[in-house]
Amino acid sequence: MLGAPAVPLLWYQMLAAILFTIGVVGVLVRRSALVIFMSIELMLNAVNLSFVAFSRQYGSMDGHVFVFFVMAVAAAEVAIGLAIIVAIFRNRETASVDDVHLLKG
Amino acid sequence: MLEALLFAMFAGTAIGCALGVVFHRNPVHCALLLVGVLLNLAGIFILLHAQFVAALQVIVYAGAIMVLFLFVVMLLNVKGETPLLTPGAAKFFGFLFALIVFVEMLWTVLQPGGDAGAPAAQAPLPAEFGSPAALGRVLYTVWLYPFEITSILLLVAVVGAVVLAKRKFI
Repeated sequence: MLGAPAVPLLWYQMLAAILFTIGVVGVLVRRSALVIFMSIELMLNAVNLSFVAFSRQYGSMDGHVFVFFVMAVAAAEVAIGLAIIVAIFRNRETASVDDVHLLKG
Repeated sequence: MLEALLFAMFAGTAIGCALGVVFHRNPVHCALLLVGVLLNLAGIFILLHAQFVAALQVIVYAGAIMVLFLFVVMLLNVKGETPLLTPGAAKFFGFLFALIVFVEMLWTVLQPGGDAGAPAAQAPLPAEFGSPAALGRVLYTVWLYPFEITSILLLVAVVGAVVLAKRKFI
């Protein structure tokens, strides 16, 4: 049997909110596609933290399963995204999202 | 008391490393700081009795995914961006929208009836909570179909990555 948590759920949620916001800032203000991807990983991890904290709170393992799925999706996303970045870099010699604006019209 | 102390340590380091990820110039340093965030989150997962998820976090995230990142960063050999942040109004609106998102999340979290209204933590958790056996039991019974679909997703991702990285595609 495990005892009651010493740290309230609220703190974990605040930490998740802070990390998610830092990730949002990274996606919105950075120019390098690589750093934008890292910021997306940051956001995914903030959500994972939220899942695990709620899982602990409700005493159910379902949150852990969701974290497992998020990790699988993140791995797929990183593989595809980095392949796209490599393909763009090979053709345009740049990894900056401000230089890749063919779809902008 | 010890738990709160460890939480503060892990949380502080994670936030510091996360700020480094976003505001560091060199992408290699960004990737290594992201590893720092992931390891600290693994520590927090252990505080939450999610031992198996913490192990997955270290092995899959900090191990496999970040190696992929570092591999691509070093393969591309991107120079540090000269204006670090996106120029002009986009930067201002970026910070503004991020602030709005943060205030919204904080408001949701602090709302009575939100987290504050959540049931008190189930104090007597089963001793096997967070163990691989318990996770496997849930994963292979309740979540069996999503699990199988995930395997297809990974297969598609592998094929897609190979096709995209082939020469003369774009």
